[in-house]
Amino acid sequence: MDITYVGESLLPGKIGQFFVILSFGSALLSCVAYYFAAKQREDRSWLRIARISFWTNVVSVVAIGSCLFYIIYNHLFEYHYAWAHSSMSLPTHYIISSFWEGQEGSFWLWMFWQAVLGTVLLFKAKSWESPVMAVVMLCQAVLGSMLIGIAIFGERVGSSPFILLREAMDFPILSDPNYLGMIVDGRGLNALLQNYWMVIHPPTLFLGFAAMIVPFAYAVAGLWQRRFKEWITPGLPWALFAVMTLGAGIIMGSFWAYEALNFGGFWAWDPVENASIIPWFTLIAAVHVMVAYKNSGHSYFTATFLVMVSFVLVIYASFLTRSGVLGETSVHSFTDLGLYWQLVAFNLIFLGIMVYLLVRRKKEMPSTQKEEDIYSREFWLFIGALVLAVACVQIIASTSIPVFNAVFGTKVAPPIDPIAHYNKWQAGFAVVVGLLSAFTQFMKYKRTDIRKFYAAAIASLVVAAVVTAIVVYVTKVYANFMYILLVFSAAYTIVANGKILGDAIRGKWKLTGSAVAHIGFGLLLIGALVAAATNEVISVNSSNYIAVAGFDQVEKPGDNLFLTEGEPVQMGDYRITYVGDSVAPPNVYYKINYEEVDEETGRVTDSFQLRPFAQNNPDMGGLIGTPDTKHYLTHDVYTLITAAMADTHQQGQGDGEQTGFEDYEEPAVYETNIGDTLRYRNGFIVVEGINRNATVQNIPREADDVIVGLKLKVHAASGDTYDAEPVFLIRGGTTFDLFKDVKEQGLRFRFSNIMPQKDKLELMVYQKPVPEKRWVVFKAIKFPYINFFWCGAIVMTIGFFLSILRRNKEVKSKHV
Amino acid sequence: MKKSSVIGIIIIAIAIAMIVVIYADSSTYSTFSEAKEKQSELYVVGVLNKEKDLHYNPVEDANHFSFYMYDNDSTECRVIFRGAKPQDIERSEQIVLTGKMMGDEFHASKILMKCPSKYNDGEVEVIEASTAKTMGFVGPSASNR
Repeated sequence: MDITYVGESLLPGKIGQFFVILSFGSALLSCVAYYFAAKQREDRSWLRIARISFWTNVVSVVAIGSCLFYIIYNHLFEYHYAWAHSSMSLPTHYIISSFWEGQEGSFWLWMFWQAVLGTVLLFKAKSWESPVMAVVMLCQAVLGSMLIGIAIFGERVGSSPFILLREAMDFPILSDPNYLGMIVDGRGLNALLQNYWMVIHPPTLFLGFAAMIVPFAYAVAGLWQRRFKEWITPGLPWALFAVMTLGAGIIMGSFWAYEALNFGGFWAWDPVENASIIPWFTLIAAVHVMVAYKNSGHSYFTATFLVMVSFVLVIYASFLTRSGVLGETSVHSFTDLGLYWQLVAFNLIFLGIMVYLLVRRKKEMPSTQKEEDIYSREFWLFIGALVLAVACVQIIASTSIPVFNAVFGTKVAPPIDPIAHYNKWQAGFAVVVGLLSAFTQFMKYKRTDIRKFYAAAIASLVVAAVVTAIVVYVTKVYANFMYILLVFSAAYTIVANGKILGDAIRGKWKLTGSAVAHIGFGLLLIGALVAAATNEVISVNSSNYIAVAGFDQVEKPGDNLFLTEGEPVQMGDYRITYVGDSVAPPNVYYKINYEEVDEETGRVTDSFQLRPFAQNNPDMGGLIGTPDTKHYLTHDVYTLITAAMADTHQQGQGDGEQTGFEDYEEPAVYETNIGDTLRYRNGFIVVEGINRNATVQNIPREADDVIVGLKLKVHAASGDTYDAEPVFLIRGGTTFDLFKDVKEQGLRFRFSNIMPQKDKLELMVYQKPVPEKRWVVFKAIKFPYINFFWCGAIVMTIGFFLSILRRNKEVKSKHV
Repeated sequence: MKKSSVIGIIIIAIAIAMIVVIYADSSTYSTFSEAKEKQSELYVVGVLNKEKDLHYNPVEDANHFSFYMYDNDSTECRVIFRGAKPQDIERSEQIVLTGKMMGDEFHASKILMKCPSKYNDGEVEVIEASTAKTMGFVGPSASNR
């Protein structure tokens, strides 16, 4: 029996689903057609088919996005995607973030960028178009299959964003034809993603991921068509572009984590973070070896291998984050959507292509018999790439522990303290990479004048040593030898590349990009080290700390500080006061004033207010705190609420007012006469008189009714007075009474009886309990010199951009 | 010796060192009784005892939270966490603790909770059908679909 559902708007979903299928089909056709176009160059008809289906694919991908946007924007909760990732109250700009909260949306984003990059290639790639696009469209087809969401031979392939709520979920109410009337709002967007960085970080990151296919495709094309030497030149600017965008995307994610997440830092070696940085490392290594090959003819295999493995690792990263294999080791990976084996297949297809081509063409690859000279740039570029690759192997090995468990059925847990575990290794690699990127800049390709090299290298070394001493002293990281070594290698990079930059400005402009990027890398390293090594929790709770025997060995004294509203507390250099909160549903903002006081004069030298907020969303797992940070040039003060009173959050939920008596203490019952004075906690009440003509709203007076009001005047200690008139009512032998509140004083009055025989009037006075003082528990961390980190990241990105310009010019000059 | 062989040997040495360290750093998911024997820092997986009191009084000490948990062998143990109470722990289906045993109490340095996932839980917020939106659609035209 078919149920007719009421109010569903099925058209956008049907259109969307049509384009999902079309995008998959057109991508597959385009891939096949490009493949034959590359094999049979004389026959132009294959190329025509390939291009037409490519444009069809572009149109479908845009149409899928438009349909999905229409569904979310119009709150069509009959669609599971809109229901699971958005809500009515979501501001428009965050609708964009809810787009990629789910896996389907982020797959779409990837496809979209790939379509954009494909368009660029179509116009720019010239003779490379067919083989390169064949690879790109193969990936587009695989991605398209992730969104299909229909069963083929009994197996569901892909997960469609256009699936209906009643199809996705299995609840009794969803078979009610009127179910839409009962689902008035969606689950909403995770509070952590409601951040402006979340609007820009995923697109940048996915542009980086998507761009990695281009150098991969060039490498495949080069091997396949036996144009071994040629592909490096057009592939290089694309590799640089991928490195730049992926790097920028990773740093944005790190900034988002720092600004919006509550783990208190900018990098946590979380598997999801690792998954994105691994291909970035390998592609950076690849770029260096590609440059070395171009200039010396050495390391062809390494360059090709690294370019290809980078993209395979991108796919491995999506397997890690999307298949659910990470399980409890990561807080923010996706859960499995039933795409597990499809993702495995995605990995195997591209791994297979890579291995096949590398093995098959190994013998034909260009190679040199002569060994590299020790005093040559290509030798050290190669060493640097190897170090990066080894660093990657470490990250991959540690991150993949859950994968090994899944494969071998073991139950090994990841390291207890991941940050220490990764830092131990990566700090060492960073020192080596820093040193290499300093002195290699003074080398020349093929053969270096040894005396000149030592003169320049040692001069910079001396300057770097002086800089190191100053930095180490100012930032106070001298306690740890490893820290000093790291600062030194970063400083050496900055000084050496600063010298190259100086030469570049004086005419050797070609080296500008590389010099700037390496300077940025050095700054980033120093910033990361200092901020991570010397950040201190300033909300240390010394007064309330009760030492438990043996406990100090495991745990630092508590990092959380308890603050009562209006009571200042001294915390390090700051006097802090919790001054109240403001509610902007669904968020509650806690206002915390910071004042820096000069100890001698007692004057306030600096003051600011931080407003960390928290959102209570039971659907998303309770209270989610979002920090607020005060940025200074030399340090940041970071503040996060870790616990708060529950009732503020009820306000945040917008609960109605209560009419019961449960909010009040036990009443005091008085037998009074006119003119009596009664005390209450905050002042006194005068019984002024009786109103025999009292009226009651909504109850018309009947002939035999007795309605009497008792006139009261409340005198509060503050000097304010309030009037109240509770009413006593007899109708048809039954007595009623109607209470009156004086809300400002938390009072409620009942005129509960008239006792003629005693000549007394019975008055019940209810008082609210003394409100508990508001409190918050919070954590504050000081991050010194973190601006070096952000600044270094920006400088590095600029450096990559300059390099792209240079390498792109080389492509053009070859075409002429 | 050739340079390439020197480099190869160095890389193999680093790789071996890495495997050893990763193996040494990796841990196991264990139980309270194992934690008592080993006296070292490890993971314990289990579920919250929802019957017993979760103690957190920030007025007294903002950095003391204690509760009772059953491990995978159904052994119950008191857990002490020096920090603020994680807000959604009552809803958790599974808890992964990092820490070590101190006497009869488990002192946790990290608490990881698995809460009913957004994707597979069975809850839909249901509100009485009273909104005007559906009322507008109830009519002969709707039944034609």
